[in-house]
Amino acid sequence: MQALEGLRLLDFGQYLAGPFGPMILGDLGMEVIKVEPVAGDGMRMAGAPFLGCQRGKRDLALNVKDPAGRELALRLVATADVVHHNMTKGTAARLGLDYEACRAVKPDLVYCNTYAYGLDGPLSEFGGLDPLYQASAGLEYEAGAVPHGHDPLYYRYGMVDTSNAMLSVVGVLAALYHRARAGEGQELWTSLLDGGAVFASDVFLGPDGTPTFRPKLDAEQHGFDPGYRLYETDDGWIQVAAFRDDDWSRLCAATGVDAGLDRTAAAPLLEAAFRTKTAVMWSHTLDDAGVPNEIAVDVKGGEGALYDADAERLGLVAEYEHPLLGTLRQFGNTVDFSETPGQIAGPPPRVGEDTKAILEELGCSEPEMDDLKAAGVVTWPDEDYPWRW
Amino acid sequence: MPGALDGVRILDLTWGAAGALGVLLLAEQGADTIKVEPPGGDPFRGYDGYRVWTRSRRSVQVDLKADAGRDAFHRLVETADVLVESFRPGVMDRLGVGYEACAATNPRLVYCSVPAYPAGHRLADRPGYDALVQASSGQQWEQPGWRPGPIFLAMPMPSMGTIYLVASGVLAALLARETTGRGQHVRTSLLQGVFLYTTQIWQHAERGDAAYYGLMAKTHPPGVHQPMIFECAGREYLHVSVMSGKAPTKTLDEILGVEALPAEQLEGLLPLQQQNLMNERRRDAIRARRRDELLAELIANNHIAEPVVTPEEQFAHPQLVANGMVATVNDPEVGATTQVGVPIHLLSTPGAITGPQPPVGAHDAEIWGELGCDGGEIALITGRAARATAAGRA
Repeated sequence: MQALEGLRLLDFGQYLAGPFGPMILGDLGMEVIKVEPVAGDGMRMAGAPFLGCQRGKRDLALNVKDPAGRELALRLVATADVVHHNMTKGTAARLGLDYEACRAVKPDLVYCNTYAYGLDGPLSEFGGLDPLYQASAGLEYEAGAVPHGHDPLYYRYGMVDTSNAMLSVVGVLAALYHRARAGEGQELWTSLLDGGAVFASDVFLGPDGTPTFRPKLDAEQHGFDPGYRLYETDDGWIQVAAFRDDDWSRLCAATGVDAGLDRTAAAPLLEAAFRTKTAVMWSHTLDDAGVPNEIAVDVKGGEGALYDADAERLGLVAEYEHPLLGTLRQFGNTVDFSETPGQIAGPPPRVGEDTKAILEELGCSEPEMDDLKAAGVVTWPDEDYPWRW
Repeated sequence: MPGALDGVRILDLTWGAAGALGVLLLAEQGADTIKVEPPGGDPFRGYDGYRVWTRSRRSVQVDLKADAGRDAFHRLVETADVLVESFRPGVMDRLGVGYEACAATNPRLVYCSVPAYPAGHRLADRPGYDALVQASSGQQWEQPGWRPGPIFLAMPMPSMGTIYLVASGVLAALLARETTGRGQHVRTSLLQGVFLYTTQIWQHAERGDAAYYGLMAKTHPPGVHQPMIFECAGREYLHVSVMSGKAPTKTLDEILGVEALPAEQLEGLLPLQQQNLMNERRRDAIRARRRDELLAELIANNHIAEPVVTPEEQFAHPQLVANGMVATVNDPEVGATTQVGVPIHLLSTPGAITGPQPPVGAHDAEIWGELGCDGGEIALITGRAARATAAGRA
């Protein structure tokens, strides 16, 4: 048995902050049906970012704007435990797929909307993308080391989208747990704006509005202070974490720097010392001295991480056959369970991969399916499906 | 109204960001959360931000190296639904409070381990500070910056991914327990937190082409979004979005007074030189504008943008306020503080901040007392007796 076995989620989301959460729930054993526009998820053209949030899902390509499509969607909702999407405010209501409409056919439904901004408020009707909320939470300001004269810097990981999705995963599971005990479903929401704020949640203001101390990135983007930063060696870079005073003394001893100097004065001496030996030599030296350190590894676009022997052995990577891309390798299990192991069900689906199987489960006959397809209400991959991931 | 996790008791034995903040997500959905600290307290308490990350819970001390402490701890485990710990693999076993021992005490316990590296990984015994995992995982080399080489991530990204794995792993196991009647060992790690945030860029496809890898490829400047950061007058910055979910009533160029392209021309298909020229014109126009005025004009025309602010300035964001994400917490040592609120909004069972960071051992008498311990026993359990003896000897 898998942890979330027997639960069904309908994923009406597109792009990233919608679909990523359902994918993670799928990894934990939930049955996830991606209900996708017949023209495809708006992010399919993006390649890797699209495929990074779709694995393991079944796919129903359905035009929910068509009355027949909406009717099919609600028949499917009646079989589901969770409805999940990232439509902008008001869109689901216009489609007749808001919480009220869905609850009418499934009273104990858990219904989750991941917004850009939030449920109510001055900007709640706007959509938005990850970088705006790296800006609003102060992440770009800090990453760029703006006080040192640089421009703000965007984190290439796009992790606010992902964190909004993960907030929704936690919220959906909490709501399902409440439902399991109390018998009632509910509506919940999360947002990119709030997801960004979590990254900066160690900031707080004192009674007079003054922010408390937080470490600031140095001008060269090396780190926070001479004890907690990257150093360039003869052949690469090494990260040092001499957090505690005793670690700092050991770092000074190992590098031949006077431990009596204050940290700022010691920094250029440490920089000069690190340049005299290779990263591997320094790592051994620091290990012997008991100074926490790690060589900064270049995984070259992820290959070094995805083909790492330990990562493979421990299930941290997953590999499957994709009908168009051949062997596709991505990250694997994010959580391991001793009694209910997760299982990554398969590759990202093509548009409408499971349309016929799902329509059959809903009681549609072959001629009805053909009529629906001819009317543009549904689609499935034909022989000549070459044009989308 | 009780939260979704009302009646769930969590023992939080973690140190550092990932465990503390992961547990916070659960604590503020109604779980009764007890921070279990070594005598004298969790060493990470020295970090100011920890006041936020370890709020909404009670605190007890326990000396797990003493028989009295370990025995009492097992009695506490009997009352718990969840235990979360962040030590290196093997440490809890050596203390006699590993998964097997705790499951023997309480078979319904969900036991979550969140070390830096998974058990069995070649780095599992090495120190696990966030930046060390950034370095060893390759995350630093993947982030372009203002110089060649790896870039230190000012925001602790491995930990910030792992918080969600802790919370979702625990909840999935609690849901499974509703079916199986049994708890289990849930394991994640900071390394898995790294993988969570690489979904858009770390993939390998046998027949992946330029389009597959192109959009999020490692470039200088980083990715597709950096060029939309614009400098306004007075060296204030604005991040402008390419989409707002609404139909703009004027184009960006019309707002800026920049000569627009003929409507039939797609800018992305123009020669690069010409695209750069268009962008330079926009940059020049925006550098002459006041940020607040430009932002208001963009929003009035259905565009969306966000000022690039400092982290502490986020509390002034009107939508963050509307979301209930700007909260006042009365800290017993600092006073009335402004902190981020609860970021998961369940409408029928809303979450809530239940209190400030507790002082070390603030609930020793209350919680050990509930388990029937008297004052002398509590002094042994919490290590206070041993410390008094040591002080006497000194």
